Parts: sequence; C-alpha cells; structure tokens
Amino acid sequence: MNSAISIENIKKTLGNREVLKGISFTVEKKDIFGYLGPNGAGKTTTIRILLGLLQADSGKLNILGQDINLSETRMKIGFVLDKDGLYDSMTAEENLKFYSRIYRLSEASVKFDKLLRMVNLDDRAKDKVSTYSRGMRQRLTLARAMVHDPEVLVMDEPTAGVDPSGQIEIRQIMLDVAHRENKTIFLSSHNLDEVQRICNRIALIDRGEIKLYGNLESLRQKMGRGGVVIKTTKIIPESLLAELKKLTYLGLKERKEKSLIFSPRKGTGVSDIISFLASRDIKIEEAVKREASLEEMYAAILKEAEPS
Amino acid sequence: MKNIRLLIIASIGNNLRLKTVGIVFIIVTLVIAALLVILFCILLIEPAVSTASPDRADLELYLGLIMYSTCFLTLGVNLNSYGFQSMTREKTRGNIESLLATPIKIKDIWIAKGLAIFIPGLVIGEIFTLITLIAVNYIYFIPGTGFIINPWIVVNSFIAAPLVYLCLGLLVYLIGLTGKPATGNIIAQIFLPVMINIVIQLILHTNILTSTSWSFATANIGLALVIIIITFFLQPRLTKEKIVLSC
Repeated sequence: MNSAISIENIKKTLGNREVLKGISFTVEKKDIFGYLGPNGAGKTTTIRILLGLLQADSGKLNILGQDINLSETRMKIGFVLDKDGLYDSMTAEENLKFYSRIYRLSEASVKFDKLLRMVNLDDRAKDKVSTYSRGMRQRLTLARAMVHDPEVLVMDEPTAGVDPSGQIEIRQIMLDVAHRENKTIFLSSHNLDEVQRICNRIALIDRGEIKLYGNLESLRQKMGRGGVVIKTTKIIPESLLAELKKLTYLGLKERKEKSLIFSPRKGTGVSDIISFLASRDIKIEEAVKREASLEEMYAAILKEAEPS
Repeated sequence: MKNIRLLIIASIGNNLRLKTVGIVFIIVTLVIAALLVILFCILLIEPAVSTASPDRADLELYLGLIMYSTCFLTLGVNLNSYGFQSMTREKTRGNIESLLATPIKIKDIWIAKGLAIFIPGLVIGEIFTLITLIAVNYIYFIPGTGFIINPWIVVNSFIAAPLVYLCLGLLVYLIGLTGKPATGNIIAQIFLPVMINIVIQLILHTNILTSTSWSFATANIGLALVIIIITFFLQPRLTKEKIVLSC
C-alpha cells in the first residue's frame, strides 16, 4: 500500500448544487500534491471530506488504507484549515500543549521547542496568539498540525492572506517537513507559483470535476503547450509577419520587438521555424525552447471548460 | 470523560482570559441582580417587615423568590451574553471545526462546551445568591424572627434553578452548534423573562408552588426533564456535517 490518500468517484451535493461530480485521484506517500482550482471549484469540500468533516454521498475514500472516520486514522493526519482555529488568549506553546492533550499525548513525548523552532516561533513561544501576525498564525497552525507527528498533512491554502516574505517562509517549512520528516502533503491552493515551486504532482479541479491530474513534468509534456522563442537581429517586417501568420503549422503566437514566440503544431520542430526564417534572410540570434507554465496550463484548461 | 474535562478546562480558561468580556458580564449581572433584589425588597419584604408582627412564613416565601430569581437571572444573563459570545467566536474562528478534525468525539465537544459556558454562570450565580441571602437577612434582621432560611429555599435556589439552566444550556448549545448561534440565543432570551414572570406569578398567587415548597423543586426538575427530552430528540442533528456547514 503506497498511496497515502485514495479518492475514487467521490460525489457530494450541498443543497441543490452538485459540488463534487465524481472526483478520483491518488496521492502517493511522500508526495507534495498540489490541489488547484478557482474559488468555488470544490477544493474546500474535498478537504472537508478528506478530514471526515463532511460525508461523501458516494464513492470511496481511504487515507493510508484506512477509513477516515476511525480515530486511529485521524491520529495520522495533520491539518491546516482556512480558519486557523487557534485560541487567541493562549500562547503558542499553550495552543500546542492543548492539542497534544487532545491527541492524548503526554507532554514529555512532544518536543514543543523543536516544533516552534521549525516554524521560527521559538522566540515568541510565550506570547499570546492574539499578538501574532497572519503569517505567524499560519506558521503556528503548521506546528499544531505536526504536534502528533502525523504521516499526512492536509492543508487548505496555508499561505492565503500572508505577505510575500511570509509565503516564502511557509513554503520553506512545508518543503522541510516533506523532505526531512518524510511527510505526505496535500496542498490546496490557488497560488500557481507556489504549487509549481513545491509540488511534484497536481490535480486541477473545476466545477467539481478533475480536469488535470498527474505528475507536473509529464503533464507539461502531455499538454504540449510549451513554445519556442526566437530572437532575431532585427525587427521582423510586417509583410513577413503576415506570411508567418498564414503558416498555421508554425503557430506564431506573439511578436515582441525582436522576439517571436511560436507554439508549433505536433510534427513541426524548431528546425522548421529556423529554416523558414533563414530562407527569408532573417538572422537568428537565439532559439529557446520554452516549457508551458502551470499558469498557462491552468488558464487553457479553464478556458476549455468555459461553456460556449 | 478525560476529553470532556480537558475541553471544559481549556474553554473556561480561554473564556476567562477575555477579561473585558468577563468584567462587563460580571458588572452587568451584578447591576441587574441588585436592581431586582432592591425592587423585590421594596415591594415585598419592606411591607412584610413593617407589620406589627412580621410573619416568618411570608418572609421566607419572599426571600425564596428573591434568591431563586437572582440565581436564575444570573444564569440567564450568563447564557445569553457570555455563552452566546463564546459559541459565536469559536464557530467563526474555526476552533470548533479544528476540534472536529481531531479524534475527539462530537458529543464530547458539545457537552464540554455546553458545560464550559454554564459553569462560570453557576459560580457567579451561587455567589450572588449567597450574598443576597446574607444581605437581606442583615438589612431586615428582626430580633424575634432570627435568620430567615428554609431548606427548600436552598434546594430551589442553589440546585433546582441551576439544573434547569444546565439542561437549557446544553439544548441552546446544541441548537447553536448545529445551526446559527443566534437561534439558540433567541430561545435563551425568550426563556429568561418568560420563566421569571411565570415563577413570580406562581409563587405569589398559588399556595402550592411556593419558593419554600418541595413541589416547586419538583416543578423545576420536571421542567429540566422536559428540556432534556427535547434535547434528546434533537440529538440526531448533532453531526459534523451540520456543524461544519453552519460555521
């Protein structure tokens, strides 16, 4: 059993709205799994189902091969929800101690100092949480999620509302947790840059359906939405530009001063573009193959999904 | 049980640390309770004491009414203000949702949180009631009559009234937890004046349900039972899904 989370054909209707329309995916152990989607796509509902806060109408859900409703399974999951749920009147250390007791751990068995150091809050351990910034609260929530040393961490937009430096700090902590502590991370986010930086596998959900799912690198190749950027020594004349546009197989997308951006069709290589330009006496300074960014893939999929 | 105890201690500690709320609650309750006691003393005790030969039974009846009302009012104000505030805060800030994602049982959360909002009111209510007992006896001390007290006054004020509010607190917390906290609060707000009015009418205008009788204690226990039965029938609503979707 290598999968940490296995979801199979999960459906959920809330009120009259079918929020999840039979979603399926698997998160392998030690994955940092990015769960992307626009607002209202069903991300939070999925997380709530994963944590046993909502019951799926149909489908199968397994966490580490077990039912989520077992208290034994809950002991193996840490969570960061959209609302932090911290006790403002308690200090950081008291919040962690409170949750350690909830998980029935003896205080001696939990290394609170280590946890607070891990999230860079060791110097503020005795301060009340009400005095913390949003970023500090999120870091403390991360420490709280780790208090019982879970195998899987489920996080709902942990960097939302945090300033850029705070986001970098939280991302670094997540990476440390995943790599040093060998945890599986399920990260729901709409921060594409964040997902691109730290996740190895992703699923994209839109209107309750999984639109894209798999390894980020292979998805890029599969989607084939990369392109070729060709820098020329002089600005391309308009007449040639019109000619290039007519050759749809070359897939000219954009011109920026001396640069041309192509998204060639399958079967058309960089060499075809270069030879065409050379035949028109255009000198090429540089030709770079560019991979599709997650943002481009995301935008393309959401555009495809738009009702015509 | 261990989890319930842990949650009660944490919740009470957390509520008490919100000093402003605590101080405002105590001051408001003290003012309302003092006004009520003064009003009852002027309307009931003063005329009874002013007679040539004060009747001890009458004085006990009036004192019982004052003590019961003081305790009932304090518990009511606590549930309406402190309890409601605590419930709303914990739901909106995600404390409840976070607890639901842990191995802790949903019923443990409900009972613990219900008790956590009841206990501070109980402590303050009992203290105010005790102060009322001593103050009224001190102010209206009649050498021939002595210290006015009756076992049923103690039972009704210190046990029966809190029992009703304990059951009501659990019901209100159940409703607030699975729906909007304001719905629970409305029930508590309607309950307080209606009950005080009924109690005054019963005590002053009937000879059976008096504040110095066992029948009044039985009526309170009966009311508590009715609330428990309603709570029992509403218990199936207590699901994680209902709570989470109402947060």
